Amino acid sequence: MWWYIGKRLLQTIPVILGATFIIWALVFLRPGDPILGLFGDKPASPAVKAAIEHQYHLDENFFVQWLYFLKGIFTFDLGDDFRGQAISTQLQNAFPVTVTLALMALVFEAIFGVVLGTIAGLRRNGWFDSTMLVATLIMLAIPIFVIGFVFQLFFGVKLGWAAVTVGGDWTVSKLILPAVVLGIVDLAYTLRLTRTSVAENLSADHVRTARAKGLSPGLVVRNHVLRNSLIPVTTHLGVNVGGLMAGAVITEGIFNVPGVGNLAFRSIQQGQSTTVVSVVTVMVLVYVLMSLLVDLLYAVLDPRIRYA
Amino acid sequence: MPETTTSPTRPRPGQERFVAAIEETPLQAIDAVDVGEVPENQWREAWKRLRRQPLFWISAVIIFVLAVVIAFPGLFTNADPQFKQLSDSFAPARDGHPFGFTQQGGDVWARTLYGARASVAVGVLTTVLVAVIGIITGAVAGFYGGWVDTILSRLSDIFFSIPLLLASIVVISVINNVKPDRGFWLSVIVIVLALALFAWPQITRQMRGAVLEVKNLEFVDAATAIGATRFKNLTRHIVPNALAPVIVTATISLGVFIVAEAALSFLGLGLPSNVVSWGNDLSDAQNQVRSGQHLVVMWVPATALAITVLGFILLGEAVREALDPKGRKA
Repeated sequence: MWWYIGKRLLQTIPVILGATFIIWALVFLRPGDPILGLFGDKPASPAVKAAIEHQYHLDENFFVQWLYFLKGIFTFDLGDDFRGQAISTQLQNAFPVTVTLALMALVFEAIFGVVLGTIAGLRRNGWFDSTMLVATLIMLAIPIFVIGFVFQLFFGVKLGWAAVTVGGDWTVSKLILPAVVLGIVDLAYTLRLTRTSVAENLSADHVRTARAKGLSPGLVVRNHVLRNSLIPVTTHLGVNVGGLMAGAVITEGIFNVPGVGNLAFRSIQQGQSTTVVSVVTVMVLVYVLMSLLVDLLYAVLDPRIRYA
Repeated sequence: MPETTTSPTRPRPGQERFVAAIEETPLQAIDAVDVGEVPENQWREAWKRLRRQPLFWISAVIIFVLAVVIAFPGLFTNADPQFKQLSDSFAPARDGHPFGFTQQGGDVWARTLYGARASVAVGVLTTVLVAVIGIITGAVAGFYGGWVDTILSRLSDIFFSIPLLLASIVVISVINNVKPDRGFWLSVIVIVLALALFAWPQITRQMRGAVLEVKNLEFVDAATAIGATRFKNLTRHIVPNALAPVIVTATISLGVFIVAEAALSFLGLGLPSNVVSWGNDLSDAQNQVRSGQHLVVMWVPATALAITVLGFILLGEAVREALDPKGRKA
């Protein structure tokens, strides 16, 4: 078990190195001088410019700059962006919001996806199943920002049930509406996955045995159908945490959430290269660690799987 | 050498390699099989099953209508999508303009019809590119194994771990800085490349898995026995039999890419604003949505986009049912 975890953690190192390198290379390709912008309309004094470039290691070549960035990651000191704000502080301010938002979206899609998917799977091809099928197709087909705007208009502006925008002083209650919007596309996947999985397991031999020995239908579903059906659903949900955080770029834009998506988008637009790469690196880390966690959970949920 | 066969006009594949004459009398029944007869293959079977599905016909109608709109948008409107008159700003529907006008006075219906071209171009081209890269890399990785597999798999792990939307935002903003003025096709190609660059690993992984499953099946040994080379084995026998799951994923992802293009436009990173596209129209409509007035500017392109995406999702589902024997039980 520990050997397996260690092996997996070692395997993540090339992935993280490669991913940061790719993003770093892309940002590096962006033309324009980030330092020149700092001088505003005044002509740049060459000595000052050289000093600032040295401070940000811009006088080094591309590869050395990447190594400086890696050093920053491993020493937890990412330095400042080109406006002199500490990148670590920006990340510390932005990540809690997005993590909260993503987890709320996850809880929303997990609860609704599993409950509705189980009902649809148990009564396959019934009216409820058909309704859910149409509903999920509509959820998948409408772009998330259209759903976001409609919800904002309807629940926020017209009905006044939820905060229209979130803003700087975010609270969990203000995040409910953005979280629902963020989770809704994935809710469709979760629901359909649960439905298929439940429907498949219903015809399994062990379920028939459980019924034959006289177990009540509720217990059969809970102990024999659901426990098996939820394994693929758990995998999907776990791996998806990273996806939700990245997908938050759009949701955070609509609801003005001061999170990672907003930070990333602003930094990309302004050419704050180190900030962009830092954000993406953390996202990659989240994805990689969640995949590992899901694989370990597998062993708990499915006793047939053992990691030697 | 006694002639024992019932005079085959030409040797069948592999037969020319037999060295010794063999007693073929019991094989006469086999020899009687008409060589010209087309065998029931997987695709023919799948097509038969596909034809029986209402889902397939719904998606076929949607995609057919879409194709007609893309080819001849002028059939459905006389208005020019690029013509704008500020005096028409948010003007209500009138004769020849069934859904009224946008903020800048463009015809909503005409813009939606002409906008199909850009959105579908992005979706189709991205899907084709992703499928080609994914099928080739996945097939090579799965078939050859060893260090080729290791390199390709690690590479796909790296690209897979980077969030697609964020990565394409980075790529497009870089290119926007290099070359801000682009024509229609160049803009489309930039978005296609930005999406495809980080979307291929999904297909690669799926294809690799499918090839690994197929390559040890008996019919591959049979092909080798009648003299197929390794490469011919891969291209003629393994890949066609491993394609089914990839085709399903690719069809469904076509809709996903159309949505992604709209999302990029919403962020101001999609096609340039002078190109008529659903993404741009939806992006322009967002201010109206906030005020809750003139919502028709959003509904018309949004509905067109949703129906298009729906068409491809339904097609993917129908193909899945047709190709997957497990799904047939339902």
